[in-house]
Amino acid sequence: MREALEGSQAIARAVALCDPDVIAAYPITPQTHIVENISKLVAEGDLHTEFVSVESEFSAASVALGAAATGARAYTATASQGVLLMAEVLFNIAGMRLPMVMTVANRAVSAPLSIWNDHADSMAVRDAGWIQLHATSNQEAVDTTIQAFRITQDTELPVMVCMDGFILTHTLEPIDLPSHEDVRAWLPPLEFDRKLDPADPKSMGMLVTPDFFPEVRHSHHSAMQKALATIEQADADFESAFGRASGGLLTVEGDPEAKIGLVAMGSTVGTMRAGMAHFQAEAGPARLINLRAYRPFPSQALRDAVRGLDHLIVIDRAISPGLGGILGSEVAAVLSSAPDAPRILNVALGLGGRDIPETLYPDLLAAVRDPDAPAFSVFDADLKKLAPEDR
Amino acid sequence: MVDDARLADLRRKFGRAPAAPSEPAPAKRTPREAQPRFRGLESGHRACQGCGEALAARLVVECAGPDVMIANATGCLEVFTTAWPESAWRVPWAHSLFENAAAVASGMEAAMKAKGRNTKVLAFGGDGGTYDIGFQALSGMLERYHNVLYVCYDNEAYMNTGIQRSSSTPHAATTTTSPAGKERMGKRHLKKDLLSIIAAHHIPYTASASVAFPQDLQRKVRHAMGIDGPAFLVVHSPCPLGWRHDSRLTIDVARKAVECGLFPLVELERGALTNVMPIREVRPVADYLKPQGRFAHLFSDDVRAQEERDHLQALADYNIQVYGLTGEGQDPADTGGAAAVGRSGRAPRGNDGAARRVS
Amino acid sequence: MTILTRGAYGEPGTSLAFKTGNWRSTERPVHIHAKAPCHAACPAGEDQQAWFAKLQEGKAEEAWRVLVAANPMPGVTGRVCPHPCESACNRAALDGALAIHNVERWLGDEAVKHGWAYPVDAPAADAPTVAIIGAGPGGLSAAYHAVRNGLRATIYEAGPEAGGLLRSAIPRTRLPREALDAELERLCALPGIDVRFRQRLGRDVSVEELRAEHAAVLLAPGCQEGWEWSVSGAVPADHHEGLALLKEFMDHGQFPSARRVIVHGGGNTAIDLCRLLKRSGVEEVTLVTASALPGPDTDPADVINVVPRELEEALEEEVAVIEHATVNRLVMRGSRITGAEIVSLKKVPGPGGRKKRVSFEGTERVVEVDMVIPCIGERVDPEGLNGLVKRGYLRPDDAWGTLGEKLYALGDARGDRGTVAEAIGDGARVIGAITARLAGAEPLADGRAEMPASGLNPTYYERLPKAKAPKLPIEDRTFDTEIEGDIGGTATMAEAQRCLSCGDCLACDNCWTFCPDNAVIKTVELARDGSHYLFDLDFCKGCGLCAAECPTGYIQMQPEFAVETA
Repeated sequence: MREALEGSQAIARAVALCDPDVIAAYPITPQTHIVENISKLVAEGDLHTEFVSVESEFSAASVALGAAATGARAYTATASQGVLLMAEVLFNIAGMRLPMVMTVANRAVSAPLSIWNDHADSMAVRDAGWIQLHATSNQEAVDTTIQAFRITQDTELPVMVCMDGFILTHTLEPIDLPSHEDVRAWLPPLEFDRKLDPADPKSMGMLVTPDFFPEVRHSHHSAMQKALATIEQADADFESAFGRASGGLLTVEGDPEAKIGLVAMGSTVGTMRAGMAHFQAEAGPARLINLRAYRPFPSQALRDAVRGLDHLIVIDRAISPGLGGILGSEVAAVLSSAPDAPRILNVALGLGGRDIPETLYPDLLAAVRDPDAPAFSVFDADLKKLAPEDR
Repeated sequence: MVDDARLADLRRKFGRAPAAPSEPAPAKRTPREAQPRFRGLESGHRACQGCGEALAARLVVECAGPDVMIANATGCLEVFTTAWPESAWRVPWAHSLFENAAAVASGMEAAMKAKGRNTKVLAFGGDGGTYDIGFQALSGMLERYHNVLYVCYDNEAYMNTGIQRSSSTPHAATTTTSPAGKERMGKRHLKKDLLSIIAAHHIPYTASASVAFPQDLQRKVRHAMGIDGPAFLVVHSPCPLGWRHDSRLTIDVARKAVECGLFPLVELERGALTNVMPIREVRPVADYLKPQGRFAHLFSDDVRAQEERDHLQALADYNIQVYGLTGEGQDPADTGGAAAVGRSGRAPRGNDGAARRVS
Repeated sequence: MTILTRGAYGEPGTSLAFKTGNWRSTERPVHIHAKAPCHAACPAGEDQQAWFAKLQEGKAEEAWRVLVAANPMPGVTGRVCPHPCESACNRAALDGALAIHNVERWLGDEAVKHGWAYPVDAPAADAPTVAIIGAGPGGLSAAYHAVRNGLRATIYEAGPEAGGLLRSAIPRTRLPREALDAELERLCALPGIDVRFRQRLGRDVSVEELRAEHAAVLLAPGCQEGWEWSVSGAVPADHHEGLALLKEFMDHGQFPSARRVIVHGGGNTAIDLCRLLKRSGVEEVTLVTASALPGPDTDPADVINVVPRELEEALEEEVAVIEHATVNRLVMRGSRITGAEIVSLKKVPGPGGRKKRVSFEGTERVVEVDMVIPCIGERVDPEGLNGLVKRGYLRPDDAWGTLGEKLYALGDARGDRGTVAEAIGDGARVIGAITARLAGAEPLADGRAEMPASGLNPTYYERLPKAKAPKLPIEDRTFDTEIEGDIGGTATMAEAQRCLSCGDCLACDNCWTFCPDNAVIKTVELARDGSHYLFDLDFCKGCGLCAAECPTGYIQMQPEFAVETA
């Protein structure tokens, strides 16, 4: 049954469908509505969970860690500064190979203070060892959240579901929430073998000397690569159960014969889809690649997806100052080994919540054809707003 | 398919009597296994000689376990017990980070509640992880009223990183970041009065204990274990390496800290002082300072040395006055009575270990 | 090949594989059962610590059995012994020495009351026999230890009763006859002991005959003869030697009449005599002694060698004492004494490092007295001991009492003894030597070190007041009633808790409790050293905490190499 729900509210409801044992969260814009809605579900008796309203994001992640270590299904949500305050714990959760799910309502990172959307927060912890999945819509965010609980227990890797702050979290959409029974049938109970248990008292979080540390990291990397198949399988299974997929590792749409392609993550995909439909005549044919799985990075799927392209526009909503786009750099690295790899135009768009209008679409396609266009630019930056020495 | 003939042959070869594979091996208990106490923290850990923290943790787990789980902050205790693949713990135990033991414990406890299990959650941290970096998480845990017993093993400096001052380091003690020199007489600041801060959370039980008084320590642990809510215990645990005293003096030094008044053993319930361990014969602070190298500069000819000693004596006198630590006559629960032993461990007089009630 | 676990988790207790890693000191703890000072000081060879340990467990009969393994007469020594054990007791510095003496007496009396059987078996009918001269404490002790060691003993006693000096020279106020008889009767009735009375050496038996018939001959005749006494050649007509006077009083209940008496000497006989004289109506009784009264500044070697309690009571009863003095001259009117000149003495260093006593000119004073009684000791009656007595005594070669082939001396007759307890101890020592030699070996002395007070950790001992025995008030003291009373069972059990267990395991669990490495294993079954604990050296880092916190000094740190070569 479809309901008109705000993104945050829908996420809260989706989390509730997954019967988490412990939820710990600390409010931060634009994740606040998720916490508030979960609190309300708990208050109304619609969600039976231990909801721990902590004193910081650092503790939110730590509480979730402690709960997960006992074999409990754990969940948290945060954004921006919260992600960074959690950073140390996020590495820790992943390193201990603890299953859990976290929603990141993507937001820029201060300073200067910005409460609006970009991907600087989740990008900052891309090396923490978490699975990172991006949703292009609230329906996908809901479905991906449910899938995330299954992926995390199958892989013993924590899963971060990224959704753009405000753009998704605060937007009302008609959402189809599966029934509790159907989700319970689809999502098996969490059986965590290594859980803390007095009957079989294991020790976790031990000191590992150089004798074994490289093996620890290798096995983590290997688990991430194996997770690619798990992510695809979960989406396929979800589709056969609920009649709806969320994009596997990545999706490709548009003209298969097109020589120009675009890669984007999150809500930008929707904007580009609209631009492509609206400006097809003047901008020419194009192929749109929605990268759902950012970690693990679907290198082979991407190589397959760009086959035949001359030009590839990679849209970043984050920047690594001094290098350029983060996604763009990674795509370039992945395609460097592909035969006839397309030329890459890397742009950062919508930093700190700058609106990305669909009218930008033809400008992007024009830029890609311009041999003098810089390989990377903050595309929507108006340099006239800067003092000459700061340009 | 089992090849019975081959199996019998192998058994003959390797000296094992033929037996049905399902037959359980005879339970042979070694003397270590046959001991009448729970071995929650096993031998083979890598603590230094005479480590007060190893001893304190063992005493705590021994009477808290086995139906417990532990969240352990980064620190000596974590490092010396769990160098992979060898763990000294026989209780479920997890180390996450330096500053989040209380939060991790909160999560464990929430999970136990969610699953309807009674396993008690303990959080362990040193003074660095408790007084300093983990202080916020601890405050949060207490405020949220998690059913967790938090035990702080207070060795009064960052020992794991090589003896740096913490907010628990006593005034005038030298550490590698508060050394004594021409311009300084060790740490310039006071030891944080953590107990009062903890007690101000209005939690059911806050107490201090010492490795020198194991019966008292274990009584406090047992009391805390029975509380359905947050409890906090700080255990004074000398570090021979960091305090620079002979490893055989760990108990002696800890005892003197209590007997001089610098480390009062007290219990607070809902913020109110309810029990203290009276001092039978109050010692001068110098008795406590003297065996420790970290206070060696206080026994130099420098005029400031005497001043600092007087200052520490004044702090001890203050504790004695504020907590009412002077005993009146002999008391089975005072520093003399609580230490008393007799044949087969019994104290000569009926000492139930109960501390004096503060009226 | 170790395989990495997912997330690098660990299995419980796997640290055992690591043992001490590279942590190991050069020292390791060892259990050393040092002698408790009471034991080291006990002339009778009792291990007071051992029997107090049984009392601490509430086992009185077992305590008595341990006690009588050394001394078969606790009811006697518990009354007459000067208890050097208490003087040596490490508890003295804490809150007063243990009341060992009173507890010993209680145990002796309990054994009589309940008829507890001595822990001895009847020796074989053909067991070697030893002949013992004298049924005093030394002879009886020797007979008892002979039986304990599977020998048979025949005692030849000149008198009609057993007990020797216990019967003839110790006042009943100190040792009631009932108590003495009860213990001696039980002892003489033990299988394998044959006491023959009225058998005088030289008249009825001879050393040589006995030596020919027995595995060994033990001479315990005691000292029956007073030394000749005169002051500058003057001997009063009514001269009485102290011990003879005391014996006479014990037999007839009367002293020669005198108003003012000086007793000259410094032993228990002198004190007993002073008190009896005072009680019998002598107005002034003065003890003149070269020794000193105990005091804070007194050299312990200089203190008068008597039962401290007896001296205390004598002073209570207003016996006067002139210390550091001697009788220099008798003032005679005809052959009767009218006064005595006293002169002060001092110990000064003499040749060979030994101290000698010198009198100080100018300190002479004359005291008016009617009688001067010398109590300067006795010597062996040489009858039947031809060629064996040297300068008054038997003077054997060694601590075992060896006089010659199959011939031993013990007790007062040795010349270097002076107490009942020493005689009892001699009995055990001599029999020990005989038993060893019958087996073709030489006896071995207990070479264990003594546990000093500095080796204990006093922290763990609760301060407990010393038991006090009841005493007859001075005005009620007569010649028959025992002055010191029984402390009773309750006080005994409380007193037992005061024993520090010096040098022996108290089973207090301190080592087990305080070991940061769990290297102390608590086990009753497997500890071979009598303690309840094993050191698991695989895990001991040698920190020394167990030794530091051992209340009794039973755990000591020793260099590893020394242990290995030992």
